[in-house]
Amino acid sequence: MKWLLDYLLKIKPNFDEGQKLNWLYPLYEATETILFSTDAKTKSAPHIRDSIDIKRVMILVVIALIPCYVFGAINVGYQNALSFGFERTWIENLIFGVKTIIPIIVVTFVAGAFWEILFAIVRKHEISEGFLVTCALIPLTMPPSIPLWQLFIATSFGIVIGKEIFGGVGMNIFNPALTARCFIFFSYPSKISGDMVWLVGPDGYSGATALSVPASTSNADAVSLLNGITQFDYSWINLASGWIPGSIGETNKFIIFLAAATLMLMKLISWRVILGGVSGLFAMSYIGNLIAPFSDNSMLSIPPHYHLVMGSFAFGLTFMATEPVTGSHTDTGRLIYGFFVGVLTVIIRSINPAYPEGVMLAILLMNAFASLIDYFVVKVNISKRMARYA
Amino acid sequence: MSHIKIKKGHDIKISGIPKSDISTAPTASELALLPSDFRGVKPKLMVKVGDNVKIGTPLFFDKLNPSLRWASPGSGIIKDIKYGPRRVIEKIEIELDKDQQGLDFKSHSMNDISNLSEDEVLDVILGANLFPHFRQRPFNTIPDHKIRPRDIFISGLNTAPLAVDLEIAMADEIENFQAGINAIEKLTDGKVYLTNKVDSKLSDVKNVNINTIEGPHPSGNVGIQIHHISHLKPSELIWTIDPQDVVMIGKLFLKGVYDPSKIISVAGPGVKEPTHLRVKTGYPIKSILKSNLSSDNVRMISGDVLTGRECTLEDYMSFYDSSISVISNEINREFIGMLNPGSSSSRYSLTPVFVSLSNILFPFTSSQNGNHRAVVPINSWERVLPMDILPNELYRSILAEDIEEMESLGLFECDDEDFALCSFACPSKTDVSGVIRKGLDMLQAEV
Repeated sequence: MKWLLDYLLKIKPNFDEGQKLNWLYPLYEATETILFSTDAKTKSAPHIRDSIDIKRVMILVVIALIPCYVFGAINVGYQNALSFGFERTWIENLIFGVKTIIPIIVVTFVAGAFWEILFAIVRKHEISEGFLVTCALIPLTMPPSIPLWQLFIATSFGIVIGKEIFGGVGMNIFNPALTARCFIFFSYPSKISGDMVWLVGPDGYSGATALSVPASTSNADAVSLLNGITQFDYSWINLASGWIPGSIGETNKFIIFLAAATLMLMKLISWRVILGGVSGLFAMSYIGNLIAPFSDNSMLSIPPHYHLVMGSFAFGLTFMATEPVTGSHTDTGRLIYGFFVGVLTVIIRSINPAYPEGVMLAILLMNAFASLIDYFVVKVNISKRMARYA
Repeated sequence: MSHIKIKKGHDIKISGIPKSDISTAPTASELALLPSDFRGVKPKLMVKVGDNVKIGTPLFFDKLNPSLRWASPGSGIIKDIKYGPRRVIEKIEIELDKDQQGLDFKSHSMNDISNLSEDEVLDVILGANLFPHFRQRPFNTIPDHKIRPRDIFISGLNTAPLAVDLEIAMADEIENFQAGINAIEKLTDGKVYLTNKVDSKLSDVKNVNINTIEGPHPSGNVGIQIHHISHLKPSELIWTIDPQDVVMIGKLFLKGVYDPSKIISVAGPGVKEPTHLRVKTGYPIKSILKSNLSSDNVRMISGDVLTGRECTLEDYMSFYDSSISVISNEINREFIGMLNPGSSSSRYSLTPVFVSLSNILFPFTSSQNGNHRAVVPINSWERVLPMDILPNELYRSILAEDIEEMESLGLFECDDEDFALCSFACPSKTDVSGVIRKGLDMLQAEV
């Protein structure tokens, strides 16, 4: 591949300061450093550096998402077959799913790359690899039946408002992928708030999601309600293994758990957020269970282990809440931040009558509070130090 | 005495470890002092080109503190004085003569030393122009001899990559070291703390408070030891000194001579035969490395690879440095390197994202291994900083130039060398240690 590198280096002077093509430098820099590892040398001490860089961090997260895509594709085909009453092999399901998902991925990446490159050129900074993760996450949070124009607008909103106006990756307050999801959620609420199942099926086909089943019935036990549904299999094990309609990438909790474990082992995401999140979810839903007998709200009777596998909690906690920039930056803060993501998810699910699913709003809300949590953690650190100094 | 266990940190497994015997250095025809090694000092020359000097003759003094003078490490003729921009004195080069005569000072017996008063000890050290070997915390600058320190700290172990092994360097110097300790003990009302590794040759030294420490780098950094043994408070001063410099002071008292020799390590992947050498302060790089480089395209560093200063063959060793490291300057540009999985034969990372084969030693180059990006806080700094400090918040308070916040986040206790591993491990290639130094300079200007 030396010829390619030689060619790239040959055309490099065209992008230098003062040259006609200088405005395209971010694009050139991205091409060169994606194709070939960097030739940047250390300028001052330390003279040697670790092999990890942001490109590697981001690409590993994208790789961790691939199993979610594969299962998502199969499930999209499976749900489609189920709704029409077809018999199909899993290969046929996969092919159908891939055909459905590819346009969604393409539209997301086109929209994401367009805005990222535009901002890089206008603001003269390097193209950040973070958009790869954002664009890889967005399709997984979308229903397979999403109209592509909505997706384009949502992605643009997520990248521009969620990230670029703050200055790009590292400066943003809200998770850009969730911002995109949130935009769709509030702009087209009739389609996407989680009352009705999402699948590529016959016109007019409809059904209740696992979360909206107990939400729409009063004075009942959630588990027996779920077991009474015949249209879909809402047993615990099936909710966990993901053969249910939903957004593309969030249904199979086992795959998500494996991805989370891998990323935690690689120390790319914080186990504290995950631990905090699961504890928060368990604690709050347990409290809900205690209140349930005195209330006509069936959502309160959902047991903790059902909350864990219902809706997108597992996916949101693993890939969205752990995002290092928008979460808390201190270790103690991460525990608290994760805990409240779990608590708020259950509160929004159970108590808010409008939205059956709450994990997205819980994470965005905690994104907003992450700095406040850090502020208090830092205050504690400072007052401890002052006590030592005194 | 207590035992300190450090968990956070990392020992970089870099190849080119120096072998454990001391070789004789190739002879040098010149030595030099570099006044730029001393932060916050305004040097004023006491010699001019062509002057004859002996070992110990003062070469320059500090305009801000005229009793602070620097001794010549060799005898001979001042060959050249090089100036940098705005007539900053960069180098004072001494062409060495054959007999290497030194100034004579009064010698003391061990008992005499113990009976000296504080002022007498200070007079001897200042009179022999050796006071610059002391440094103070906070800020890691040369202290004001008129202000007594709370304590004096000596780190008896080096954990920096490829650093000189003090067990080897100090093996034959225990008596001189003891003499030095007996002398400098007078300079503080508090204690002299010596921190060793377990079973060190220095564990029988008297008149010091000995602690042992174990754990990865930076456990050998004196700042980390101060943090764990006895916190530095903002109003306090602590002096620190290198054990080899204590030996130098010991010899001054016992024998009445200034012996500027010390043991250094010459190591790294770019060195043919990594070893320990006995050299003098301000030794020319050329003499040390000329016949020992594995290729032409290398980066030579005076100091260790984490904190040292890049230098050339025409350069000289820095005053406080006790190692010379050489790494390759050749960078292999992998095709689609970002997707190549990589194993420990081609990658080295603290973040366990690459396949690790075994504990092989890695031939580091001067590659940055990535481009600079905005900070993505995945805790890579926190994992290598064994201090009760929030590095991320401290970093941001310095960028925001918020002096009060820096102070309350504990910047007084920090030094840039303690944060070098943070810069090493950072996936965004952020210069954390550089920012910490900037913060310290800001804070120092303020107080």
